[in-house]
Amino acid sequence: MHELSIATAIVESVLEFVEKKGASKVLAIRLAVGELSCVEPEQLRFCISSITEETPMENSALEIEKIDAEVLCPHCSYSGRPKYWEDALSSGPVATLQCPQCGKAAQASQGEDCCIRTIKYVA
Amino acid sequence: MNSFTIETLEAAPDEIYDIELEHSLLEANAKLSRDNRALLDRHGIVAIDFMGAIGSGKTTLITRLVEKLKTGVAVFNGDATTGADADAIAKQGVPVVQIATVNGCHLDANLVGKALRKIDLGGLKLIFIENIGNLICPAEFPLGSKARVVVVSVTEGPWMVRKHPHMFLGAAIVVINKTDLAEAMEVSVEELANDVHKLKPDIRVIPTSCKTGAGLDEVTAALLAV
Ligand SMILES: Nc1nc2c(ncn2[C@@H]2O[C@H](COP(=O)(O)OP(=O)(O)OP(=O)(O)O)[C@@H](O)[C@H]2O)c(=O)[nH]1
Ligand SMILES: [Mg+2]
Ligand SMILES: [Zn+2]
Repeated sequence: MHELSIATAIVESVLEFVEKKGASKVLAIRLAVGELSCVEPEQLRFCISSITEETPMENSALEIEKIDAEVLCPHCSYSGRPKYWEDALSSGPVATLQCPQCGKAAQASQGEDCCIRTIKYVA
Repeated sequence: MNSFTIETLEAAPDEIYDIELEHSLLEANAKLSRDNRALLDRHGIVAIDFMGAIGSGKTTLITRLVEKLKTGVAVFNGDATTGADADAIAKQGVPVVQIATVNGCHLDANLVGKALRKIDLGGLKLIFIENIGNLICPAEFPLGSKARVVVVSVTEGPWMVRKHPHMFLGAAIVVINKTDLAEAMEVSVEELANDVHKLKPDIRVIPTSCKTGAGLDEVTAALLAV
């Protein structure tokens, strides 16, 4: 459901950008979606295609790249991939904020964001 | 691009460009949430937001907390369509702003910023913000609160934390509500607490019953200490 609000933000930013550039057609956009952002790529793809009909973004290619989660531990200085909870009942293993080295609470240092990386368009 | 040449390149009408943008989609909200936080800090106000599934007891809990605190507190109610929750809390005689999101599934920092400009901040110490009942969306949108509380209830079954892990990663406090119904629901409060700690060991977990009043003093104390 919130994929729709993220999709709206993406489409608004892209359309504003191409209008400023006087572009006629968007060929492709590349997004980066953080593992810790709870954005579901397939839902996002569907939302974007459903709100870009009859805009310069219609039928443009959409590439979604995943940004891996990374954590930093203030207790033991561990830095790197998080500990995963294998048997959580989510769609797969879930990244946690439990330090893989000492077991205390770590902080997310990467993988929370969701951004538009590049836009390919025809002038 | 082309930083080695001095003359500007005119694009041919059908020329293709590939531009790096690195435009963050969450940053606009994050910035507004920092603005909200700065405004609150200037007034010495602590805002706390309450997230959780539909019907987990957010409004009831906030009402109980307001009863205990009585003054210096205001409440913002996110509600997609009705003003029922806001009306319930307004009976306590504290300032209440209903934030209608129409079709949105979460509050955002812009809406909370508008609500902050609607009330007199003088004399306030606390603002409780009730987010929309939803376990996924609100996590992505910080509002400017100092701490986020997730209210879960035993009536959501034994697997609710495992099924919705995301919501807990940004929370400071998790309230496990409706403990008066735990036995009837055959749900272990301890197991739920363990699941929360697997996700984030430093979350404060407080079991409560808004019906019997159990745990409410502990929640009040925890919120006053954030
Ligand atoms: N038995 C019992 N019922 C509770 C408790 N807390 C809340 N309830 C009941 O649960 C129902 C939902 O409570 P609300 O406070 O409206 O829940 P909410 O999270 O604000 O719901 P939404 O705003 O619709 O998402 C109401 O009928 C409450 O009386 C509790 O501790 N024990
Ligand atoms: Mg409510
Ligand atoms: Zn550690």
